[in-house]
Amino acid sequence: METLGTDEIIVERALSGDADAFGEIVRRWERRIFALTYGMLGREEDARDATQETFLAAFRNLRGFRGEAKVSSWLHRIAVNQCITRQRRAKVRNESALDDEDEKASSFAAPLDYSPAAITEGRQRTTAVRRALNCLPVELRQVVVMKEFEELTFREISEALDLPLSTVKSRLYTGLKQLQMRLEKFAA
Amino acid sequence: MNEMEHSSTCERADDLVSVLYGEASERERREFELHMQQCGNCRAEFAAFAQVRESIGEWRDEALSGFVSAHPAAAPVRKSALAAWRQFFDLSPLWLKGAVGFAAVVCCVLAALAVMRFGPPDEPVRVAGGNPGAVYTKEDVERAVREALAKQKQEQRVVEPKPVIIADTPPKPANVARSERKAQRPFSKAERDQLAAELRLLSNDDEAELDLLDDRINRQR
Repeated sequence: METLGTDEIIVERALSGDADAFGEIVRRWERRIFALTYGMLGREEDARDATQETFLAAFRNLRGFRGEAKVSSWLHRIAVNQCITRQRRAKVRNESALDDEDEKASSFAAPLDYSPAAITEGRQRTTAVRRALNCLPVELRQVVVMKEFEELTFREISEALDLPLSTVKSRLYTGLKQLQMRLEKFAA
Repeated sequence: MNEMEHSSTCERADDLVSVLYGEASERERREFELHMQQCGNCRAEFAAFAQVRESIGEWRDEALSGFVSAHPAAAPVRKSALAAWRQFFDLSPLWLKGAVGFAAVVCCVLAALAVMRFGPPDEPVRVAGGNPGAVYTKEDVERAVREALAKQKQEQRVVEPKPVIIADTPPKPANVARSERKAQRPFSKAERDQLAAELRLLSNDDEAELDLLDDRINRQR
């Protein structure tokens, strides 16, 4: 594909009336935002909805984008807010909803040459990770998800969440520690 | 939430995560690895965190493997007209393909018939030397040629053809030709005198004085 420029240039084009420009932003960031929302919400359907809502909110507030932060940071902030809002609305997710989702998620991903025991073990492990992550406080979860799902650098996370670098590292450490404890408890 | 609740006992949580995610500088990484050789707590935490990361990675790969973009912007860029037509025909039913083929054949036949029936008229010809604005058909040209040939034959019968003189030299300018003609005829007296005066060959007055001087010298002798 031809070179279209940085995200900031594309946003400028979108602001000047180029109808295809915002589509390019969506194309570039959709997968990453989906990864973020999936990690935050733990359900594919919710993640899709939250991703869609993120880009809709971004498009509505396009004129509010001042260019002080990167487009990616701006989108991440919107996505995190969308996830928090959705979770507040849903309050606490009950275990039965997660169980239903576990069945759906594991059915398409299991390789054919895995033994039933291995598949079961894999399902149990991913279920444990999902539950453990879902139980993390939002502040910790968003940092873990941005690091693990989106593979952002500490600096990028710090810019996206407008946090000091040391806070990002300490939140990541605490998140990993809590996950470790929960997974050990599950294995036991 | 107390974020320091789970901070490393060695207070090296920042270094641990930096090394774990490969974002530490070479010096920081070496220092922390040296520290881990002596600190069992940090070594155990590092190994446990690596295990957690592996578990998250498995879930992540599984979760994102089924991702399919639902946004139209992520679809391939606009197709060319040819590709669009090809797709249209691929998707259209057999009867539609047959009908389009038949229509194409009929159109070709009709076009060929139209060309044969209403072909382009004779190309008009412009005649050299004629009226620049005039346009002649082939018939006009042929008639004109016939008339010209007939006229030429009549002229050849009446008038003997003159010998053609081909000049070897190009025509000379008028003033040069005039002076040559002048040179061929004898000079008049006035012309002779004028020419001599111009060339300072003779002066009537000087000659007369010289004659007088000769006479005086002869007399004195």
